[in-house]
Amino acid sequence: MSYSTFNRKHFDSTKEPMFFGENVNVARYDQQKHPIFEKLIEKQLSFFWRPEEVDLSTDRKDFQRLEAHEQHIFLSNLKYQTLLDSVQGRSPNVAFLPIVSLPELETWIETWSFSETIHSRSYTHIIRNIVNDPSKIFDDIVNNEEITKRADSVSIYYDRLIEMVNIYNTMGTGTFTIPGKGEITVSMAALKKALYLTIASVNVLEAIRFYVSFACSFGFAERTLMEGNAKIIKLIARDEALHLTGTQHMLNLMASGKDDPEMALIAAECQDEVRNIFIEAAEQEKEWAAYLFKDGSMIGLNAQILGQYVEYITNVRMQAVGLEAHFATKNNPIPWINAWLVSDNVQVAPQEAEISSYLVGQTDNSLDDSDFDDFDL
Amino acid sequence: MIPISMTSTSNSADKDTNPVLHKVTLGERFLMVSEDEPLLVQLERAGITVEYQCREGYCSSCSIKLLKGTVVYLSEPLAWIHDGHLLACCAIVKSDIDIALY
Repeated sequence: MSYSTFNRKHFDSTKEPMFFGENVNVARYDQQKHPIFEKLIEKQLSFFWRPEEVDLSTDRKDFQRLEAHEQHIFLSNLKYQTLLDSVQGRSPNVAFLPIVSLPELETWIETWSFSETIHSRSYTHIIRNIVNDPSKIFDDIVNNEEITKRADSVSIYYDRLIEMVNIYNTMGTGTFTIPGKGEITVSMAALKKALYLTIASVNVLEAIRFYVSFACSFGFAERTLMEGNAKIIKLIARDEALHLTGTQHMLNLMASGKDDPEMALIAAECQDEVRNIFIEAAEQEKEWAAYLFKDGSMIGLNAQILGQYVEYITNVRMQAVGLEAHFATKNNPIPWINAWLVSDNVQVAPQEAEISSYLVGQTDNSLDDSDFDDFDL
Repeated sequence: MIPISMTSTSNSADKDTNPVLHKVTLGERFLMVSEDEPLLVQLERAGITVEYQCREGYCSSCSIKLLKGTVVYLSEPLAWIHDGHLLACCAIVKSDIDIALY
């Protein structure tokens, strides 16, 4: 059952399920089972950006003028974002690549994870710019109890899936005694369940947890503070909106049974558990909001408003994967955030007035007489 | 039924031909929309708040319920659209429709 980097079997990959079928052999995209994943790849590539393109020179001055409790909010938020992207920059590759069976999905996973590494590099760019000793901030990510609590909940499903797949790839299915872990039963149903829950948990990470941190970043920028940071977060938010569509497609394809009939049964069986993943994450994010604002609020944002936003965005995301909304909150308490999240006007440098659908070589070469209709000499 | 007043800033309708208008019913209210623009901008102009983010069809934030009627998309959106829903940012209304916001 061990993983092969080039599967020698002859098979039609369009007949394979997304996961747990044959290991991918030829990276070919001329025939695709789920063309949506190649469309996501193309969109992600059209979004390409580099952190160094964003000028952060005024942020340093802004940061020094922030009050102590505002610096706490800004830095804690940045630490949390750094944690989330540290996890996302590697985990889709480590967890999903050994079990993926479609070339277009394999490449989407790699493209997705790669874009997270750009986010991680941009946090270093931001932190280097605002403090003299970045180590103080980075080291706290593994020391600070509030952050490590979050690390546990974002990595638990990934780690469990990776562990089970490791056992499966060396031993196959069965019940095994693992030193330090006790007995672990690996069956195809258990693996598929672990996978489904992991994808739900990743969807929550990118669709809810990130948005709490985005609200804080844009909260500063609404007051014309830390605007370079907000420009970077805008670019990150645009990427994350695409990533969460990726996991929504995976979850919805699985639940529909169109991809793998057995997965549809597992999805139905897991529905309550997935609901709980969303609700628990929302509760954790509300706790996080309380920690952020423990020493004082900022204009336009406090723990209560951010908590309402968590509930609101959780409802939106639950409905996107076919679940009933859980919270009573019906309206967005911070409607101004949408103006920051909209991708149309994402602009790095003025000379690059970039639109997100920009693609190199997209020029249309076809020409006919009507193209000159509005031409006057 | 209470009509929702709307000031059109669209100049794309040809003066010589009548623009095709469709009735959008939202609970107790309704408004008339054209096929010239996606539904979202026309709802916003009428003062109706709809959640949005990307406005390009990939984030699914503006997904709302389509209870009755037909909409089309000029290019297929990247977001998953559940049965009985539409993506307001890029949906072109093609018949009288009934919608519901969450």
